[in-house]
Amino acid sequence: MKILEVKDLSFGYEDGTVALKDLTFSVEQGEKVAIIGPNGAGKSTLLHLLAGFRMPFSGLAVVDGETLADDNAARLRRKLGLLFQDPDDQIFMPTVEEDVAFGPINLKMDDIDGRVARGLKSVGIEHLAKKRPHRLSYGMKKRVALAGIMAMDPKILLLDEPTSGLDPRSRSELVRLLKQMDRTMLIATHDLEAAAEIVDRAIVLNVSLMMRGTMRDLVMAHEDLEKVGLEVPPVSKLFKVLDTMGYAVDSLPVSMDQAVAELTKVIDREGRHVHAHIHEHIHERPNHLPLHAHNHRDKRKSAGK
Amino acid sequence: MIVGHTRGSSFRARQLDEHSRSSWLGRIDPRAKLIGVLCFIAVAALLTKPDLVIAALACSIIFASISKIPLRHIARAYAATLPFILLASVSVFLFTGWENGATMLARTSSCTLPLIVLVSGTETFELFSGLRRLHVPALLTSLLMLAHRYVFLLSDELSRMTVARKARGFSGGKSLLDRYGLRVISNTAGMVLVRASDRADRVFEGLRSRGFDTEMYVWRESRFGRSGVSFVVCFAAASAFLISFQLGVIG
Repeated sequence: MKILEVKDLSFGYEDGTVALKDLTFSVEQGEKVAIIGPNGAGKSTLLHLLAGFRMPFSGLAVVDGETLADDNAARLRRKLGLLFQDPDDQIFMPTVEEDVAFGPINLKMDDIDGRVARGLKSVGIEHLAKKRPHRLSYGMKKRVALAGIMAMDPKILLLDEPTSGLDPRSRSELVRLLKQMDRTMLIATHDLEAAAEIVDRAIVLNVSLMMRGTMRDLVMAHEDLEKVGLEVPPVSKLFKVLDTMGYAVDSLPVSMDQAVAELTKVIDREGRHVHAHIHEHIHERPNHLPLHAHNHRDKRKSAGK
Repeated sequence: MIVGHTRGSSFRARQLDEHSRSSWLGRIDPRAKLIGVLCFIAVAALLTKPDLVIAALACSIIFASISKIPLRHIARAYAATLPFILLASVSVFLFTGWENGATMLARTSSCTLPLIVLVSGTETFELFSGLRRLHVPALLTSLLMLAHRYVFLLSDELSRMTVARKARGFSGGKSLLDRYGLRVISNTAGMVLVRASDRADRVFEGLRSRGFDTEMYVWRESRFGRSGVSFVVCFAAASAFLISFQLGVIG
């Protein structure tokens, strides 16, 4: 069942800048989709438009079976949980728990205490309930903002650059959290690595729709990513090299960490030396060249003997 | 300033509510504080007899000193209001003599000090929600809350721009004759307004995305309780005592 549908959607700012042009895509219930694109591609504009903050637009946006319009934007917004790029734009109340309760109270929902508890638990910050949000780290503020959204129990999560501005540890924690959440998500990001771990498929946007497919399709489409203005992620480079060497990359996970973990397992399992002379300038696949694992630890051990 | 500045909330914003938790005032229902203090201020403003004005000032000083709010903080806040207090007092002094001028100084101070203590000893949000619970129109309290949030947005942007300016070696604008410096400062002011306006839009969208219409609702409302009643009784008694002397009911 389609929970979100966009047809021939176009939007331009008052100064004449075209932000979105003829965009068509849909999201199934329970699906996690990434909107990937460089800065200024219209990712945030799209999320804000779907939340009913950018009017008027041409085309069609259907949220949970209802066509988005001026008169029903506020009502449809209840079904959407929009997480802003900067949590400071979203956090308003003096304590974490009061901020999490802010949405449910405004929407006159029942069981506010229960919702707050569940919201805090869903992002693992129960212990911060009484804290003042402005004293928290940026990563924790992001979690507070997300808890505020979760407490509203929206049908769709719209996440605007959820991993931006986070240190590596906070980033991986948030990625793990979003991956575990069983909810429909539309994630605007230019962090392909993070998207690869969270989403099922992705849409590449640069004002208009440039590409669509699974994360594996995108990771393998190096040239297309470069054309769109996106930096090719390390996992993409790794796959390119492995593919050139004849390794079946289809079996590898599309996130760098998982791919490396999988490769390490393979090397350990094979128990043989692998010599991988990796040069980016190899364009033709040398089919005759097998994959050789060079196990430095074993080499050191044997040298020690 | 760099140390104090954090994303989205300024050091000063944090300081503003800092004393509400250290003072016993923070545990009293905001409605009780508002009723008690505003009642006292109304009476103090009506006093004309110099000895009664001095008595009201003494009450204010006692209230400030037992509030457990750092006196330095109160003194700084009082110093900020001093130009306005002096303006009124000096005008009265020039037209009607030193005794009336001094009485005006004591009267305005006896009104200002409890207000400073009230604001310092209460979290801003609680203060506004207290006003709302005293049936001040929702539009007004919401406007106050948004204005409070937006003032700090403006202050944040100003801090960022000032740091950015200094980081690039700017040190001008200290003299009215420094035309280049003044031009840079006026450009900064323009940029601050534009950036603060953009952020204000985002904050408002953030509020609307969480169902905000025009009213701020309170989740866990505090109770008036025994402490609230005691607070109101103390201030009402002091006010009644002063006004009775003023009207000649006593003495």
